[in-house]
Amino acid sequence: MPDYALMKRCLYDGKAADVERLTREALAEGRPAGEVLAEGLIAGMRVVGEDFKHNVLYVPEVLIAARAMKAGMAVLKPLLGAQGAGVKPAGVLLMGTVKGDVHDIGKNLVCMMAEGAGFEVHDLGVDQSIEQFLAATERYRPDVIGMSAMLTTTMPYMKVVIDGYRERGFGHVKIAIGGAPTSRTYAAEIGADGYAPDASGAVDLFLRLVGDGPVGTAAA
Amino acid sequence: MTSRERVLAHLDGRPVDRLPLMPITMQFAADLIGAKYLRYATDFRTLVEGQLRTAEQYGFDYVSCISDPAREAADCGADIVLFDDQPPAFKEERALLAEKTRLAGLRIPDPLGGGRMTDRVRAAELFRREVGGDKLIEGWIEGPMAEGADLRGINTIMLDLYDDPAFVTDLFEFVTEMEIRFAQAQVEAGVDLIGIGDAAASLVGPAFYGQFVWPCEKRMVDAIHAMGARVRLHICGDTTAILDGMGRLGCDIVDLDYPVDMRAGRARMASQVILGNVEPVGVMRNDTPDHVRAALAACHEAVGPRYIVGAGCELVRDTPEANVRAMGAFAMDTAP
Repeated sequence: MPDYALMKRCLYDGKAADVERLTREALAEGRPAGEVLAEGLIAGMRVVGEDFKHNVLYVPEVLIAARAMKAGMAVLKPLLGAQGAGVKPAGVLLMGTVKGDVHDIGKNLVCMMAEGAGFEVHDLGVDQSIEQFLAATERYRPDVIGMSAMLTTTMPYMKVVIDGYRERGFGHVKIAIGGAPTSRTYAAEIGADGYAPDASGAVDLFLRLVGDGPVGTAAA
Repeated sequence: MTSRERVLAHLDGRPVDRLPLMPITMQFAADLIGAKYLRYATDFRTLVEGQLRTAEQYGFDYVSCISDPAREAADCGADIVLFDDQPPAFKEERALLAEKTRLAGLRIPDPLGGGRMTDRVRAAELFRREVGGDKLIEGWIEGPMAEGADLRGINTIMLDLYDDPAFVTDLFEFVTEMEIRFAQAQVEAGVDLIGIGDAAASLVGPAFYGQFVWPCEKRMVDAIHAMGARVRLHICGDTTAILDGMGRLGCDIVDLDYPVDMRAGRARMASQVILGNVEPVGVMRNDTPDHVRAALAACHEAVGPRYIVGAGCELVRDTPEANVRAMGAFAMDTAP
């Protein structure tokens, strides 16, 4: 039986090489890729997320833990995609910072935490237009779009994206927003499906959006 | 009592007629004079006009040279993203120190060398000519964490804290020396107070803050005091976990952002003046004048007499005039 407790500990401590090695060893023991993902990597990131939420960990610790998770994911990914692996992501997430805004550390944290929670994450990067969001939606077929903005000058573009999705018949795609100047009230104003105040809350929100249908604009 | 006298007396613990009023304005001030923000951030005459008009219209007790965090990095040679009507910014992949080895060859720019730092020094000089002795004049520098992030990339430097502490130490050494020289040039140009903005410091937690950031912030604070100027510290975001360290820096004004509980702030800053911390968007921009006043009263009650009226961070550009006037009216009506 793989030592998942050790794998989680190594992930928590950001020991990427150890996580990669333990992932390989678990697979060599014949454990299914989905089990290694769930019991090792996702379980490890769940602890990181909880401790981040409660100010036990801060941004540097989350980033090194996420890097360790990625080292394990790189080993698992080819197997997870293989036919018959039986592993489905928690959901498909498309993330981007809206047009005119190049601030990305919050968005990056959300991407890492969501990947750690089992989402298939497609990060469009910063300064993304409605056309870029739509093109990526056609390509990746996401369940949820996550948008961030750092400035009051750029957050109105979130409404441009939401209106664009509704006008083009993508009303079924859930849209979540976040970022320093945004709020639950603002999310309601612009017709977003949800708002989260931080990265941990965003993951909880995404899980609700893909799991239980509409959640209004409840803060996570 | 002039505005300048009021602020300085309040900082010294001497009696004043009312609470000083010192909210941060940047884009708000540019909009007030109908200037695009790129012009405000790159032409000191526009910045000074915006600050003077804003201070006059709303009764602020100070004017500030603050505009954006990219001045020092630009003069170091960083590739800055310019926008027509919002603050200059950085792209991580184009960071000046994307390659760490470049640090060894980096030279501290001359604050009077004709670049963006000089533009700020010129603003300080013009303020002194226009309102010296009347309004308090504030200069501005970046703190070690903020400027380190500007030069290296904010995502990357977070990993450097673990991967290469020696590099972080060297980078912060460079930044601290650069910022002290920049502060010196502004003090010589006539500012009364230097604001230190260290936005990213709220992200790293108390251990890294204490190990890397605090010692450099402390050197900056001590150096500015040795120049004869006062210090305002502003760290964006939730600084609850590092309040102890912030309190031990000895700043004259600790400017707290809205996620921080003001009572917790007061508990850790025995006698320092605390400024803030009404929510800039949720209250100042979106709420009513009555709620602005109530929020300020709550801050004042939590902090006590050693308080300066302001928001948690910059008053955003579309803050309603009535709410800014309500903030001003609270200061005018309230004794410490």
